[in-house]
Amino acid sequence: MTDMHTDGNGVAGLLAEVLATEATVVRRTCQSCGDVQALGAHRAYHGAGVVLRCPSCGDVAVRIGVHAHRLTVEWRGTLLMEVERAEDAGA
Amino acid sequence: MAPISRGFRGRRSDVDPGRLPPGQYLTPDFPVLSAGPTPRTDLATWTLTIDGAVDEPRTWSWDEFLALPSETFTVDIHCVTKWSKLDTTWTGVSLDALLDGVETEAEFVVAWCDGDYTTNLPLEDVTGGRAWVAHTYDGEPLEAEHGGPARLLVPHLYFWKSAKWLRRLTLRPDDEPGFWESVGYHNYGDPWREQRYWSD
Amino acid sequence: MTPRGPLVWRTATIGAVKEETPHARTLSLEVPGWPGHRAGQHVDLRLTAEDGYQAQRSYSISSAPEAGSVEVTVELVDDGEVSPYLVEDARPGDQFEVRGPIGGHFSWSVDEGGPVVLVAGGSGLAPLMSMLRHRAARASQADARLLVSARSPRDALYRDELEELEPRAGLLVAWTFTREPPPGWLGFAGRVDAEMLTAVGPGPQARPRCFVCGPTPFVEHVANLLVDAGHDPHLIHAERFGPTGG
Repeated sequence: MTDMHTDGNGVAGLLAEVLATEATVVRRTCQSCGDVQALGAHRAYHGAGVVLRCPSCGDVAVRIGVHAHRLTVEWRGTLLMEVERAEDAGA
Repeated sequence: MAPISRGFRGRRSDVDPGRLPPGQYLTPDFPVLSAGPTPRTDLATWTLTIDGAVDEPRTWSWDEFLALPSETFTVDIHCVTKWSKLDTTWTGVSLDALLDGVETEAEFVVAWCDGDYTTNLPLEDVTGGRAWVAHTYDGEPLEAEHGGPARLLVPHLYFWKSAKWLRRLTLRPDDEPGFWESVGYHNYGDPWREQRYWSD
Repeated sequence: MTPRGPLVWRTATIGAVKEETPHARTLSLEVPGWPGHRAGQHVDLRLTAEDGYQAQRSYSISSAPEAGSVEVTVELVDDGEVSPYLVEDARPGDQFEVRGPIGGHFSWSVDEGGPVVLVAGGSGLAPLMSMLRHRAARASQADARLLVSARSPRDALYRDELEELEPRAGLLVAWTFTREPPPGWLGFAGRVDAEMLTAVGPGPQARPRCFVCGPTPFVEHVANLLVDAGHDPHLIHAERFGPTGG
C-alpha cells in the first residue's frame, strides 16, 4: 500500500505565497540527517495542513497550516535561497 | 471576484444543512489525510498506554485491548479541510472504560501516535461518552491508512483531534499544543463554532 | 530564471479544446497577463461553483514556452472532482482561474543542454511534452530520450506527434504498454524495469538529467530504478501526481 504523498513541486503554489522567490529550487540542509535537497524533492503530505519531509530521512522539514486568510509556516533545517532582485534594487 | 465556472458543482451530495457545521461539505468518500507516511505496527508488539499524572500507568497489549468492553456506535465526522462524513459506524473502547478507576487531577490529555503525531484535548472532552479508541470501521478492522490498528475518535471536535495510530494517552495538569495546534490550528477545534484557526 | 513578482490568480478562458484520447483532453487557455513559462512548469487551476464552492488542482503546462498559449492536458480521474468537469463538461468560453507558472525544480531549458532522460507514467507525459516541444521549437540537438508507460495505445497521449518528432528532431521515444499492447507489438510491455531504462539510456556515466513524472507509486519505482542503476540522485527530478495521477 503506497503512501498518499506528493512532493514539493505539488505545493509550490502554496510556498510561493510565502517566499519572495521560486520555492522548489531552494536547497535545504536537514537538521536531522544533514543531507541537502531541493524543496521540490521533499515529500509532501496532506493532513489538516501540509507537511514537507526530508526525502533522505523522512523527518519533518516544513509544516504549513493552511487557512482561508492565513498560512502559518514553520521551517526546520537550514535554507539557502537565491532571490532575483528588481532592476532598480540598488546596492 | 472569482469567475464562475459554468456548470461546475464538484462532488457534493445534497444533505439536510442542519447536519453540517458551518463551512463544511458532505463527501461520499473517506479522504485519507496524513502528516506523514502510514506507520506499519506489528500487533505482537503494539501496546496502548495511559500515563502521566496518574497513580499507576496502564498498558494493554493488542489482545488485552480487544478483550476490553467495546461499543459500536454511529457518528458524524468533520474535517477542518471542509469535508464531512455522516453516519459513520465504528467499534471501539470508550475512554471512560480505559480510564475507569484512574485517579487523576489532570485536566488535559496529550495523544501520542506512531509516526510522531500528537494532539491535545481537555480531559473532560474525552470522557462522558464522547471519545473512544476505535479498532473497527464499518464492520471491518480499521485499515492502516485510516489509523489502524487503533485510533482515537473524538467526533465532536474537528477530525485532526481523532489521532490515528494511537499508542499513548498522557494525562497532564497543563495543556501542551500538539502537531497541528502548534502551527496555526485552533487549540480546541469545535466545528460548530468553526474553530479552525488559532484566532477563530 | 524565474519570473519576479507574487503569484496571482488570473482568469483563464478556454479558447479551444482538443480530444487527445477517450479520457483526456487538452485545453488551450487564454490568460491575459500571462508572464510566460519554462518547460515542465505547472499551473494551479481553480474552479468556482455558483454558490462560491471552490476546488483546486495542479496541471502541468503541456505547451512549449515558445507556443504563446497556455495548454494543459487533463486526464479523467475516476470519481474525480475537477477532472470530470474539465474533460467532460467544459467548453470554449468557459472560465476558471489559474495561478502560475509554478515550479523551478521540475523544469528544463535547452540552454541547460543534454543529455536528458524523460520517463512518463500516463498523464505524467504532459510536462515532458512541454520540454520536447520546446526542444523542437528551438531546433536543439540536445540528446533527449523519452520512455512512456501507458495502459494501451488508446490511452497513449500525443502518440502521433511523438512519432513525427522522433525522426525530425533527433529524439528517441520508447513506449511500454502495461495492459494492452497494440496488435503485433514488438516493443516493451509491462511495468517499467531496469532493462527498459538501460535500453533507452544513456547510462549514468553520461550524467543525464532525468525527469520522471506520473502517479506517486510510478515515480517512486522509476526513481529507485535510476538510482540503483547508478544515476546521481541529485540529477533525478521527480514530479509526483499523488495516488490517482492528478
